[in-house]
Amino acid sequence: MTAAHVEPLARAAGNKLPRAPRKWQSKALLAVFVAYVVGVVWSWMYIDMTLLTLFGGFTELWNLVVDMVPPNFDNMRVVLKATVETIWMALIGTTACVVLSIPLAFMAARNTTPNPVVFAVARAIITLTRALPTLVLAAVLTLPLGIGPLPGLLALAIHSIGMVGKLFTEAVENTEAMSREAVTSTGAGKWQTVLATLVPQVTPSFIGTALYRLDINLRESAVLGFVGAGGVGFVVQQHLRSLDYQRAIAAVGVIFVVITLIEVVSTRLRASIIGDHLSSPTKKTPRTMARERRDHRLLVDAVTTRRLTPPWTYERLVRASAGIIYLVLIVVAFATIDIPYLSALGLGDEVIDSFGRLFPPDFTTAGPELWQGIRETVAIGFIATTLGLVISVPLGILSARNIVVNRFVYGTTRLFMLALRGLPELIVAVLFVAAMGLGPVPGTLALTVGTATFMAKLIGDALEEVSPEPREAVFATGASRAQEFVTSVIPQALPNLVSQTLYMLDVNLRSSTVLGIIGGGGIGFLLLSALRVLQEPTVGAIVIVIFVIVYSIELIGTFVRWLVE
Amino acid sequence: MTTVLSGGADPLISLTGVSKRFPNGTLALDNVSMTVPKGQLLSLIGLSGSGKSTLMRHLNGLHKPTAGTVKVFGVEVSSASSKQLRDVRRNVGFVFQQFGLVGRATCLENVLSGALGRLRGPRYGVWSYPRTLRREAFDHLERVGLAPQAYQRADTLSGGQMQRVAIARTIMQQPQLLLADEPVASLDPESSAQVLELLLKVATEDKMTVIVTLHQVELALGWAHRIVGLRDGRVVLDQDARGLSQTDVMEVYRRVDRESELLATPSTPAAAPITERQRA
Ligand SMILES: Nc1ncnc2c1ncn2[C@@H]1O[C@H](COP(=O)(O)OP(=O)(O)OP(=O)(O)O)[C@@H](O)[C@H]1O
Ligand SMILES: [Mg+2]
Repeated sequence: MTAAHVEPLARAAGNKLPRAPRKWQSKALLAVFVAYVVGVVWSWMYIDMTLLTLFGGFTELWNLVVDMVPPNFDNMRVVLKATVETIWMALIGTTACVVLSIPLAFMAARNTTPNPVVFAVARAIITLTRALPTLVLAAVLTLPLGIGPLPGLLALAIHSIGMVGKLFTEAVENTEAMSREAVTSTGAGKWQTVLATLVPQVTPSFIGTALYRLDINLRESAVLGFVGAGGVGFVVQQHLRSLDYQRAIAAVGVIFVVITLIEVVSTRLRASIIGDHLSSPTKKTPRTMARERRDHRLLVDAVTTRRLTPPWTYERLVRASAGIIYLVLIVVAFATIDIPYLSALGLGDEVIDSFGRLFPPDFTTAGPELWQGIRETVAIGFIATTLGLVISVPLGILSARNIVVNRFVYGTTRLFMLALRGLPELIVAVLFVAAMGLGPVPGTLALTVGTATFMAKLIGDALEEVSPEPREAVFATGASRAQEFVTSVIPQALPNLVSQTLYMLDVNLRSSTVLGIIGGGGIGFLLLSALRVLQEPTVGAIVIVIFVIVYSIELIGTFVRWLVE
Repeated sequence: MTTVLSGGADPLISLTGVSKRFPNGTLALDNVSMTVPKGQLLSLIGLSGSGKSTLMRHLNGLHKPTAGTVKVFGVEVSSASSKQLRDVRRNVGFVFQQFGLVGRATCLENVLSGALGRLRGPRYGVWSYPRTLRREAFDHLERVGLAPQAYQRADTLSGGQMQRVAIARTIMQQPQLLLADEPVASLDPESSAQVLELLLKVATEDKMTVIVTLHQVELALGWAHRIVGLRDGRVVLDQDARGLSQTDVMEVYRRVDRESELLATPSTPAAAPITERQRA
């Protein structure tokens, strides 16, 4: 009724007011919400997880923790060697992905694509490569390529194209067109123009994306050993299999330290590359001032003596040394990683052959189990997301500086979350499986922990960022702390919370397709057993099913995001 | 470099019956015909949206006409092969209102990119250009007074400095025809006077033919040989600048204004172009 009065007002304001969502869109949103609730209820009944199993799980976990102390470091030589291999795999895999993604991005960007066919093909490659989880790809690639780092790094390279190619394409599309037009007008050729105008614009964001993906690939690389595709994951699994928990936790500790260290380095590098200048003008220490004076002198010298090459300013030195360090690392990686290059060259036919044997896919042999696997995968995704969300709310509130006044509570919560997030999800899952045995419950709990810590960080950050004014306004009315929280903080953070929940559901459904590979429930378990007995047509069927699951999630996710916006 | 040029008797530019309708239906140019002899300094004036930029962009093939022909240096730009088009572009310097510099690259690199038309193969970074060209680029930066900024990133410069770098890039090209589309419209009055003076000094020293669009009529009158006025894509004024005083041109602007009001009233027949009226 009131809408009729509001509408002309909105029109009078020159349509500046946000347009109310159209009727069918709000209906569709409601349908999505109902579907989510139904999904959760059904999943809970399907997995048959009671709160009792949950708490039982915690005692079992505690027992495992007790078994793990003190960590036993006497196998460090093997662990470190495998860790180095893990790093090389991530480095080579990311490099290969970047090399493949650069031409793809220029073909898939609207402003540089040579023709519509190339455009469509490039876009399709970028979308499709994302739809097979790295671990699945690696597992299948071990069929023709055998055990070792080669299938692992190929899987990393191929799967990463999805994200890296997409971000590269966006970077190319976000360049400004004026300089391009100007240089074209000087009579420069197409590639000359691209190199002179586009490449300088996209380089920083390309490097930033590559570093970001390197972080992700390092985490993925740490678990590839679970399917025999190289790296430290294999060592962890060996120790867990032989119930040598003290050595296992030592290896996990090394993984944690390496991942955290590299993440810190790459985050700093990224900040300095994306930030326009290496030194921020706000922090002028004597050292940066000396540096600036030196740079200035170099620049003045260069122009007064008319040097025909750019002077070695600090910024340029940092870039060049980073480049050289990278080159050295990649050469060492290629030289020392355990890949039989010569025989690998002949494996091309083998790969094609063995992929050929996946077809025609056999959906019948594993029929009922396949169906059960699909349902279990979906159920794990829903429960982990919901449970994780429920836990993340108190966790997030405890970690928000402006809400929890107690510094100790705030600090320990943040630290605890940081430690859990530092480990790849599948490492957490494999520990949980070791504690509780095979089945969907440990897998679900591992994803729950991942979701809870991720969301709690978001909630904590969001709460710290929520603008203080409305809170003060409510405070002034004499409301209690809890009332104040409910009336002002929550509504401000809610829309973001909803879209993040959907994002987590997406991530968890993807993860739960591979959980089974380490015995954590879901369709991945079937994949592993079919691979073990070399039932290739069944492998083909499972891969197709996983592909379809992930791809549908992607489509649904895109649709829902579109609805929300 | 002069292979595309035809004999000296021919005009440098000739447009015959050029019309341009954009895909969205806008008629930006409506049957424009004109010729420009070598060495002329021509100023295009007209209200916003009258088609000045569109006309300029036809001269180096950034736009293709929907009807009519555009000949530059005797080459029909509208039907030229991409090789021929590159040859034409190499000889046409284009200075844009928004400068069109690569912000993340140094000034020297930006100037060097003006030489790409003369080179084969892609280049990236100062070191990839021959040393003689680097020296030349330095000279051009000196000419526009920005040699001290050679190794500074272009996006650290002021607007006036950026446009001077763009001018240096254009000199690097060694063009015979210079097109400048509102080259000083995004600059403050003081730097616009400086930059415009620099542009014209360089252009006359290097014997370029110049077409420039300007919103400042007094500036246009001060140096142009010839003034061409556009309105709704049609040429409504084409006169020798010498005969015009500043008030005349202001009067022209006002008349163009009044004409638009008259045209807006359906019963009034369209006013004849000013040139015809004055000839009569
Ligand atoms: N790429 C394009 N697509 C569609 N319409 C265009 C395009 N470029 C220009 N136009 C239209 O063509 C007409 C002439 O535009 P043009 O930019 O040539 O005018 P102008 O005289 O340069 O104006 P200004 O003084 O504002 O720069 C305008 O109506 C404009 O909206
Ligand atoms: Mg214009």
